[in-house]
Amino acid sequence: MTSRSTMVVVGVASLFAGLVMPAGNAQQAPGTVKAVQVTGLSGVKDNTKGTLNVGNGQLHFVRGKASSDVTAASIQDVVTGGDSQRAVGGTIGLMSMAAPYGGGRVLSLFRTKIDTLTIKYRDADGGLHGAIFTMPVGTADVIKKELVAQGAHTTAPAEPTPVATSSTSPNKEQKQ
Amino acid sequence: MRRILNAAVWMSLFTLVFAASPLLAQKSKPAKIKAAAFQVEMIQSDEIKLPAEFQVALYENLVRQLEKKGFSHVYRDGDRNAPSVANLVVLHSTVRGFKAGSEKARQVTTVSGATSITIHCQFTRPDGTSLLDQDVNGKVRFFGGNLRATYDFAKKAANAAQEHFSTTGPE
Repeated sequence: MTSRSTMVVVGVASLFAGLVMPAGNAQQAPGTVKAVQVTGLSGVKDNTKGTLNVGNGQLHFVRGKASSDVTAASIQDVVTGGDSQRAVGGTIGLMSMAAPYGGGRVLSLFRTKIDTLTIKYRDADGGLHGAIFTMPVGTADVIKKELVAQGAHTTAPAEPTPVATSSTSPNKEQKQ
Repeated sequence: MRRILNAAVWMSLFTLVFAASPLLAQKSKPAKIKAAAFQVEMIQSDEIKLPAEFQVALYENLVRQLEKKGFSHVYRDGDRNAPSVANLVVLHSTVRGFKAGSEKARQVTTVSGATSITIHCQFTRPDGTSLLDQDVNGKVRFFGGNLRATYDFAKKAANAAQEHFSTTGPE
């Protein structure tokens, strides 16, 4: 009986550890962050995973062997924000919705915080484009600072670091 | 026998009236306005505070949905090629209402946490002549992230455009 309850405790603990650990593995090489292009980037499908970095006056989004670049000088606005997403997503997350006794709904309570980076830029004809990226928490401000340093414009120059802000911040938790 | 005959006559009369009314309604439908191209202006939200990601998602989805509806020339805000196009229709969108909602609340409770957005769409000629004014809303009630409301809005706005405008028609 005791061993069974121990097993349950260990199982629950490992589940929580699994949920928390991906946030720790968030950053890669300095200046390069894992990101998801939610929408807007020309020639890239929605919700494409890749890496984002700033260099040579350009914002590079690399997925596989392909790369999409946006010139920093053409960026009219860079805005960072906060969001959260289900810790257990994808196919497993979808399948969990069918779990009995509302098990799937309980899983929805476990969420990981993410940063959002929204840019507005103009193409060669002057047409306005917008793109939204999500990335691990604390990394959007780094990208934003690098972009601004390389010539991008922003309407919100001094934003507090997303990690430090509480959930009552107007920019945070607008989406859950 | 007479009763049956009477009933049959009344039945055929009713059928005629009900079948004919949709046909008459179709005839009274106004002709579509010619729109050789659309120019989508950036979503304005001066009165209501709208997160930047919503503003951009609304704009990008709107451009995409108009293209999907068969309008081959959809110009973006500020495009230098747009003013030279004849029969251009400019789409101005202003946010009238926004409820952020919560994806977490939706997933946990199913009934609460809906995200909704109401936008006033104004279709004009480049000189400012108004062609169509309409409030369009976007919602996400059960499944999907909050940004899905922007997709819902864009689909409805593009449907409204398709309903009232055509690439071939009277100017």
